[in-house]
Amino acid sequence: MRDAQSFDDFYRSTARRMARYGYAVVGDHSEAQDLVQEAYTRAWRHWGRLAAHPAPEAWLRLVVSRLATDRWRRLRTLRGALRLAGPPPAVGPPTEDSVLLLQALRQVPANHRQALALHYLFDMSVEEIAREVGAPVGTVKSWLSRGRSRLAALLPDLAGVELEANDVA
Amino acid sequence: MSRELSDWYQRLAADADARDLAVPGVLRRRADRRARLRAVGGSLAVALLAGGVVIGTSLVSKPPPVPSPAVRPTTPAPSATAGSPSPSAPPTTPGRPPSSSPASPQVTGGSPPSTPVSIPDRAFFNLPPANRTDTAPKFVDRDVLPGLCGARYPSDAAIVQRRTRSLVFKLPEDNIDGNAPDGTYAHTITIYRAGRADDAMNELRRAVRDCPEQGRPAGDASMLTRQRLLSTTGYGDESVLFEMREPNVDINGDPTGGENVRLVRAIRIGDVVTVLWEIGWESGSSPRAQVDADSRRAVTAIRAWLD
Repeated sequence: MRDAQSFDDFYRSTARRMARYGYAVVGDHSEAQDLVQEAYTRAWRHWGRLAAHPAPEAWLRLVVSRLATDRWRRLRTLRGALRLAGPPPAVGPPTEDSVLLLQALRQVPANHRQALALHYLFDMSVEEIAREVGAPVGTVKSWLSRGRSRLAALLPDLAGVELEANDVA
Repeated sequence: MSRELSDWYQRLAADADARDLAVPGVLRRRADRRARLRAVGGSLAVALLAGGVVIGTSLVSKPPPVPSPAVRPTTPAPSATAGSPSPSAPPTTPGRPPSSSPASPQVTGGSPPSTPVSIPDRAFFNLPPANRTDTAPKFVDRDVLPGLCGARYPSDAAIVQRRTRSLVFKLPEDNIDGNAPDGTYAHTITIYRAGRADDAMNELRRAVRDCPEQGRPAGDASMLTRQRLLSTTGYGDESVLFEMREPNVDINGDPTGGENVRLVRAIRIGDVVTVLWEIGWESGSSPRAQVDADSRRAVTAIRAWLD
């Protein structure tokens, strides 16, 4: 029923993007890694049907964003699941820019963070984001606009004036 | 110097790229191990219940599914809690008529049912009192069929809705152990788009035929299971019955000698296919007479729903 090879191919082709997305939405790398791996675990559980899905990556993004929203309640379970995998490998510290962006993103509402990540990491248009998150186009425009305004106030040297004209088409 | 927000995100993406996720094989194994642990935990808890010890079912049961905007109705909708299929039901499109596959005598005397769009609880059969245990049936999110050499089912793309219910039963003659279960069904009902259910049946027949034996993990090693189609007539419009023979294993999954036979029957009624996969209890083979009787009950319940 579930084809391991196709799942592995899917994982290899999407895991990097998904890790970026998790990082941008959650704001903490370890936690994002937990959530993304949990999402892939669920994808494998459903792989018999998900493999035939026209947009399995969108399905995964939904799982990640929902896990992120619900992460405090689920954190203990996720930590328990992760124990089975052993400690994560040692990695270097994040760059200064990442730290600044993540600090700023923590002060932005979750739905704004999600919309911004979909736009800047997946190059999705406002319409595509609206379809994915199930919100009206106008709402997504508002999220992006307000999210950017907030980030512009928090990040040094951000070209805030040009954002509206260039990105929200 | 002024910078675009996209530059900031690019730096963040580069940071994320520096940290690898697990390789997919490790992730799959971990997921499967979790599923096995959950299954073992469930079995132990229910066994203790049967012995009179009250255990919080919350330890082993999944939280209720969270409705979600499924990207597509045939795919399990993601949720923050444990996943559960919550497909919505798209309108069906006119298609070729239900299969022209050999029909059983039970089919005669009625027009083919129209394709339904959702599966109510009443479509699932009830056990007679003599077969009931203390464990209530519950809707679950699990595989519909056992793995068959990695077979894939293109007809899954034509699924309108699918629901699976776990149903624990005991044999009527089993009075000594009171309510101790003798087996469990993973009972699934699937609605296919008009005229596509027979594809699902054909794909299943082919999958079984093409997979006479396969290895699957058992403890630290693997064990061989053998599959073969069995003769089956008189169930719905058509049916597929197959057995899986596998070595008996202990709770750790290690072979103990002996062999178990698991039965799986898929039955098509119009555009609906129901699968009764008898996944067993602690040990022993699927009781054929019970599976046959429950297959007939499953057909009766579905016909009553469709009528």
